[in-house]
Amino acid sequence: MKGKIKLRPGFAAAMLFPFVFGAVLMLLLGYDPVEAYRELFKGAFVGNFNLGTTLEKFCPIFLTALAYCVTSKVKYFNMGVEGCFYLGALFSAGAGFLIQGLPWYIHIPICFLCGTLVGAVWAAIPGALRAYLNVNELCAALLMNYVAIHFANFMIAGPWSAKGASSQTAPIEKSAELLRIMKPSRANVGLFMALFLYAAIFWMFRRTKLGYRLNATGTNSYFTDYVGVDAKRMVLLATILSGAIGGFAGSIQTMGVYGTIIDGFSNNTAFDGMLASLIANNSFAQLPIYSFLIAALKSGALGMERFTGVPKALIDTLIPILILLLNMEGLFDFKHLRKRRKKKIAEIGKEGA
Amino acid sequence: MMQLSDVLSYTLVHATLRSTAPILLATIAAVISKQANIINMGIEGIMLFGAYTGYVVGYFTRSWVAGVLASVAVGTLLGMLVGCAHLKFKAHILVVGFAVNMLALAMTRFMLQQIFGVSGALVLPDPVSLPTIHIAALESSPVLSSLFSDYCFMEPIAILLVIALWLVLYKTSVGLHLRSVGLNEPSAMTAGIDIGRNKFMAITLSGLFAGLAGAYLSMGYSTMFVENMTNGRGYMALAAMNFGSGNPLFAMGGALIFGFMDSIGARLQSFGFPSQFVLMIPYVTTVVVLTIAMVSARRKEKAMILKQYRDGEKTVQTS
Repeated sequence: MKGKIKLRPGFAAAMLFPFVFGAVLMLLLGYDPVEAYRELFKGAFVGNFNLGTTLEKFCPIFLTALAYCVTSKVKYFNMGVEGCFYLGALFSAGAGFLIQGLPWYIHIPICFLCGTLVGAVWAAIPGALRAYLNVNELCAALLMNYVAIHFANFMIAGPWSAKGASSQTAPIEKSAELLRIMKPSRANVGLFMALFLYAAIFWMFRRTKLGYRLNATGTNSYFTDYVGVDAKRMVLLATILSGAIGGFAGSIQTMGVYGTIIDGFSNNTAFDGMLASLIANNSFAQLPIYSFLIAALKSGALGMERFTGVPKALIDTLIPILILLLNMEGLFDFKHLRKRRKKKIAEIGKEGA
Repeated sequence: MMQLSDVLSYTLVHATLRSTAPILLATIAAVISKQANIINMGIEGIMLFGAYTGYVVGYFTRSWVAGVLASVAVGTLLGMLVGCAHLKFKAHILVVGFAVNMLALAMTRFMLQQIFGVSGALVLPDPVSLPTIHIAALESSPVLSSLFSDYCFMEPIAILLVIALWLVLYKTSVGLHLRSVGLNEPSAMTAGIDIGRNKFMAITLSGLFAGLAGAYLSMGYSTMFVENMTNGRGYMALAAMNFGSGNPLFAMGGALIFGFMDSIGARLQSFGFPSQFVLMIPYVTTVVVLTIAMVSARRKEKAMILKQYRDGEKTVQTS
């Protein structure tokens, strides 16, 4: 990975097409696309609240993208980040309201530790199964998400329930809450932690022995085995790291955004993160850009729905289309096409002559 | 108070086959693409599209045939889209599959809101459903009629399809070509097999069966459409395929295990088990079963290597 961002030919067309498609859909449904996109932009960036909401959404998407990206370096497709995210949120919430009477500088680290550890352990299960028993991680990790989500729902509805009308746990103690920036939105200092973690991991992969080993495992595991690096352990290590990041993301979500944990709070956040990582082609350097793009679209969609009535689901439809198009090589490679056409014309000309 | 015998009784056979059928149809889709060495993650999304299309088209045309055909058509089209994106434009198959899944979730939600003005579940008055086979001769015996009568016609067909697929894959030249593409691409190419065409055909067929699975889900298994109603069944099908390592008959075994756990879970709920734990059962089983399958496969492999080694020693000694 050079870290240099090189745009493919047709990149702009691939970026634009989904929005044109969306505009056509809106016209067909009788909405005003210009107005809708203006509200989308406003809803994402204009004003403390809107920009704050974008940043609030950016934080978990970015971290889960990072979690996915880490395992992709060892050629492990980690679809299990969602489960780690849920469990991280759940257990940091548990630590947040069960432990009482601590000062914030002890309480917050404890909560983070709980969430991160649980996430790491959860991700380690399919990781170990894959590394040592060659169980397909696509299925194992993915299906364990459902187990995690059902377990979280059980805890939210049962033992840790706030016994209120809506299904959620008791609010965490004041001492476990993260400081909010950009009020009245729910953006919080977790954002800086996420950026710091990102920098640390980026550095680790670029500059340390461990990072080199992980990268080498992904490129050629036979080679790493040969030179005496245990490739299996490297895979396990990467999944643990990934799970820890996922759990950390969940903790930030509980302690910074919700202050409690609500039934179904995540709504596939980790999958958005995964998609961000996939568009970025699993390069660390591009992660923040695409995570931010998806977060901005998601948060802008809220404003768009509120002010123009265009449903949020439309934007959710455009995002996968965007990913598909960005992933197809040479779909909008007009330069290439033109060259080919010119060549053809030239050939025909020759034949004519 | 219910007894354990109420959970484990003869009626379980019917329930198991019922909850196996959607997974089984999706498993067929997974197996076909796997034989061409493609892991089609998009099965889940295609199923969801199929479920929506079948239900809605069936309702408006008042005919289950039209519904099923529409589902199959949508599934086939999506399969072709996946194939085109993956084979022609070199998109990563997992990315395409996952994008289709996300698209299905968002788009069905969008269409529910736009066309019917509801979110969550769509329950139309008097929906069409797939016909069931009622055998009047068995009415006198509750045991026999539970075991053999009142199946939705798709359930026996799913099982027949698996057997047919096995025959096609292992007993015909079409199947041989497909399998050789999946096993060793360069050799297949040398033998003059059109790789692109075989792969494209596999993905398209995979989409077709996933669409069919969706149609069964919304018109046979239940008679409504719910957001995300596939609920990981497509992934379970992939797990079942993995369990049988691509062989349709063994994969059917995997699908039956999941269906069995699914139907047991539904009964345990009335025993007072927390519903969330009951809902976990099929997923936990899948992971455990996959692990066991891999462990036994490894053991076999080791035994084979050991045997080869010993045979080698023998030949060295004799020579």
